[in-house]
Amino acid sequence: MADKYLVEPDVGFIKEIGEYGGDSLKKCFQCATCSVACPISPDNKPFPRKEMIAASWGLKDKLVGNGDVWLCHNCGDCSTLCPRGAKPGDVLSAIRMYAISHYAGFPALGKIVNDPKKLPVLFAIPAVLFLVLGLIFKIFGIHWLNFSPERVIEHGDTVGHIAHHAFFHTWLVDLIFVPTSIFVVAIFALGLKRMIADMHANALLEGKTDKENIDPKGFVQSLIKILPTIMKHSKFSECGENTERATPHMMVLFGFIGLAFVTGFFFIVLYGIGIHGPYDALVWLPVKVIAIVSGIALIIGSFLMFKNRKAKAADQMSTYRDWFLIGLVFALGATGMLSYLTRLADAAFLTYLIYYIHLMCVFVLFISLPFSKLAHLVYRTTAMAYNEYAGRK
Amino acid sequence: MDKKYGVYICTGCGIGDALDIKSLSDVAEEEGLSCQSHPFLCGKEGVELLKKDIAEKGVNTLMLAACSRRVNYDVFRFDGCIVDRINLREGVVWSHPRPEFPALTEEEKEDEDNFDRVQMMAEDYLRMGMAKTEKIKLPEPYVLENFTKKILVLGGGVTGMTSAIDAAKAGYEVTIVEKQAQLGGNVANWRQQLPVSAPYENLIPTVVADKIAAVEADGNISVKLETEVARIAGEPGNFTVTMKKPGEKIEFDVPFPLPEEMKLDEAGKELDVEAQHAKYLEYNEGRKDILQLDPDGEKFGAVILAAGWRPYQPEEGEFAHLGLGQVPDVVTNYEFEEIASKGKIVRPSDGKEAKSVVFIQSPGQGDDSDFAYTGAVTSMVALKQAKYVCNDYDDGKAYIFYQHMRTPGLSEGFYKSIQQTPGIFMTKGEVTGVSKNGSSLAIEAADTLLGDNIQVNVDMVVLATGMVPVTVDSPVINLAYRQGPGFRDNDIFDGYADSNFICFPYETQRTGIYAAGAIRRSMTVDESIEDATGAALKAIQCIESSNRGVAVHPRSGDMTFPDFFFQRCTQCKRCTEECPFGALDDDEKGTPKPNPTRCRRCGTCMGACPERIIGFADYNVDSIGSMVKSVQVPSEDDFDEPPFRILGLVCENDALPALDIAALNKLSYSADVRLIPVRCLGSVNVIWIKDALSQGMDGVFLLGCKHGDDYQCHFVKGSELASIRMKKIGDALASLALEEERVAQFEVAIDEYDKLPKIINDFVEMVEDLGPNPFKGF
Repeated sequence: MADKYLVEPDVGFIKEIGEYGGDSLKKCFQCATCSVACPISPDNKPFPRKEMIAASWGLKDKLVGNGDVWLCHNCGDCSTLCPRGAKPGDVLSAIRMYAISHYAGFPALGKIVNDPKKLPVLFAIPAVLFLVLGLIFKIFGIHWLNFSPERVIEHGDTVGHIAHHAFFHTWLVDLIFVPTSIFVVAIFALGLKRMIADMHANALLEGKTDKENIDPKGFVQSLIKILPTIMKHSKFSECGENTERATPHMMVLFGFIGLAFVTGFFFIVLYGIGIHGPYDALVWLPVKVIAIVSGIALIIGSFLMFKNRKAKAADQMSTYRDWFLIGLVFALGATGMLSYLTRLADAAFLTYLIYYIHLMCVFVLFISLPFSKLAHLVYRTTAMAYNEYAGRK
Repeated sequence: MDKKYGVYICTGCGIGDALDIKSLSDVAEEEGLSCQSHPFLCGKEGVELLKKDIAEKGVNTLMLAACSRRVNYDVFRFDGCIVDRINLREGVVWSHPRPEFPALTEEEKEDEDNFDRVQMMAEDYLRMGMAKTEKIKLPEPYVLENFTKKILVLGGGVTGMTSAIDAAKAGYEVTIVEKQAQLGGNVANWRQQLPVSAPYENLIPTVVADKIAAVEADGNISVKLETEVARIAGEPGNFTVTMKKPGEKIEFDVPFPLPEEMKLDEAGKELDVEAQHAKYLEYNEGRKDILQLDPDGEKFGAVILAAGWRPYQPEEGEFAHLGLGQVPDVVTNYEFEEIASKGKIVRPSDGKEAKSVVFIQSPGQGDDSDFAYTGAVTSMVALKQAKYVCNDYDDGKAYIFYQHMRTPGLSEGFYKSIQQTPGIFMTKGEVTGVSKNGSSLAIEAADTLLGDNIQVNVDMVVLATGMVPVTVDSPVINLAYRQGPGFRDNDIFDGYADSNFICFPYETQRTGIYAAGAIRRSMTVDESIEDATGAALKAIQCIESSNRGVAVHPRSGDMTFPDFFFQRCTQCKRCTEECPFGALDDDEKGTPKPNPTRCRRCGTCMGACPERIIGFADYNVDSIGSMVKSVQVPSEDDFDEPPFRILGLVCENDALPALDIAALNKLSYSADVRLIPVRCLGSVNVIWIKDALSQGMDGVFLLGCKHGDDYQCHFVKGSELASIRMKKIGDALASLALEEERVAQFEVAIDEYDKLPKIINDFVEMVEDLGPNPFKGF
């Protein structure tokens, strides 16, 4: 530990945390009820009291790179029991939002994602991108965008049926999504590199670890070790308040995992085997079922999340970031499901329109991933893995 | 008044079950007094019985053998009658339950060597009551010839003005005396002040302008600026006050008593009375004696002391470790307020904007106490001044390092609101160093809430020094009292003008002088305003009691006053010197001059007087002495093993209520003690103890309040004086070949009722071990 710590409070940071929903942070009078109440706080250097002090002093350097803010699952036990209404849960949540922006970089893009006034711009990007790119290709004679899509005829089916790829060709879609994905992964990679270094430096400073360096192999082992915890949501169920949160969160998480699997599977089917969709044949049925179940899980999960947040409005703050993510997940599930159903119903115009909206949602999901609350998927997993690695009790 | 006695025994509340009422009645009837018993004396029928006897039989001296005098006093109040309460319920029956102190069986009664301790106790108390009522008179009030209801307020700050406004609203004429050329006091020089009303969150402009307007608008208030009090002579209801310009020397400046060292000759022996008086006159040359009234003096009935405070003046190098006096940008909170009142916060060294300021609440160096004379106020002031920094500059930062953050009562609301300011940072911690660091100051602190030793670099440092009451520097009130112009022994209150502020706020050691505001303890404006109202009410209480010739406090409404039989006075001055309230002035010969409205009727003078010439109508050396003598002390002539007899003189302020509470809780103590309530242990005259021992009682104990610096004595000095007298009596006992241990004094607080049985029983046991008094039976 340093002999003497030069305190340089950042008033701007305090104000920003306030804007992210942590405006109660200054109410803390350091009684430590929060740290005692927290069911998942470690015994060694427990949070969130130290974070509350640092926050009220505007000590950005002690918070942004602090892994502990990610160990918090925002159950709200601390906020409920806080005698001063300082809502440590909300403050940590606000600090996490700050950290997400900090590690993502690209502040202009971050602003588009997190500013409600920029929401139309955010959706306009894919809407315009698909059309403009499709039209440009058309000029060169490549018809990957067809406004009167042909029906696909298979297995001697004379009428033929609707296929979304006849509207937006998969090449066009993937030409956009593959680079976007690479961009997102790159942002995360850069962010994680800085985050892990910061987290380790902070842990060394605060005496939270006995490891001097980060050994990649050990770190990966720790990551594997905590995966069951994440999958089972065991940390969620340790929380006293908000236990009902685990189910919807699990539905959404597994919904995404299911859909990621389905997407990957058909990606291989398409580009590996060369079989084009729609995959209505009986042989694809098991994978189709996974897709449908996952989509329903997204819809129900996000709806429950919405309901819970509404009910908890008095105890737990909800910002635009929270509503944005819940809304996006719901829209994603709903548009996906509807474009499927309308296709089966043979409502051509409707299904193409919904599919177009669905593509916009997917794009927004991808591009906002490192900037929105959804980034916790990456950062919290990393922080939990690091905590496991650090050997903290 | 021709006394016609009547004894009434109540048999309710278990008295009739525990005692032989017939034998008890015989005690009265043997003396030729009529005695009746009633099963429910405080009930409607019982009281009717008493009223009927008063009206028809002309009974005017009633002895009610029933419950403690501390209950039903309103039920048993009969105007024009002496009413004595003989405490059979709490004093005998409840504190000596029959299962523990069994009555004699018929068989046992036949043997004359057997006796019933509890019955003996009840009979003794009845005898004591009869002895007392024979010796006391119905009190008549002492009424002043000249009386004024005007109130003098010393100090024209917020406190003084508030007192004046409140007293004037209640219909009293008030004069404010202010040293400065304008009203407003210290507060007039501030930028803003702490909130005075709900929700206690925001700083407000000072209340001074409103207060001045209210004072000026009130026809009952007159203001004397650039004036101070040269002397206040006389007594409540009739003070004669001489005023003068500050610093002026006049003949009615108050004389000071001769300092102790000047009372001695060169050889260190005390000078005789004449020589001392000559020296005294020399010492106070040019000043009129205290007994000489200023013919031009103004008359006042009561005084409110609201002279306030001055900033603490650190000694040279006192806070050098915090940079004070070394670094120009280290200032006190008082100096900081001066800077703030002139405009934006700037550094004294170079006039540059001070955008970051550290506020230090404790001098540190291993001690966690705050600066002297601070109380809770400096915590609040730091919060206020921190807010100035953030109000002046958007990027302003204020740090408060405290050992205690004291925001009592509703001011918690203010703390919460200040805490919300993003630029204000607070931590507990000890500041370990302040040093120059380029153009800024480096402050180091240890044991902070941040968990580390920390350093901050700021533009300015403010030390939270305290508010010193002006009574530290001078007496202020300049009383023309023989005991001196100021409050006595005021150093035990660090110079604050107070007597015991928990139990008796506003009251000082001088009746008729009521302190309010920062002269009483460090206070915020809000607290001072409330205090001012309290003191104004107290001053009114004083006037409205003195004018009827009754005591003001704590014996509110007591009509008696000390009466002196001057023919036998030996001018020993003991009464003048020992009176805790300076009620007595003596002339050059040493003859005391009583000032009855200064008096609180504690009887300390009566206890002090070696000639026993001081007494009250219903409480005097003879009345208590007769009670002592009326106790039957059995000897070997009466019984084979006669019971011991032990006298207890019990202070009626705390010890007596505690005994009642003990009885209510059925806590028992020895039945061989006989208790006599006294007004204060200070009123205990040693002759009572001598009387008790010479008639064969085996021991005497005094039960009273704690004394010393943290005294609980309701009359400040009473229990302390008693303890000095008890030490002296020890020598006298030794000369009579009696053990010193037979006389003892115990301290008890009102809530220590559970300790009383042990205190009494241990003493009884100790006396039993000493053996019976050899004078028994003579």
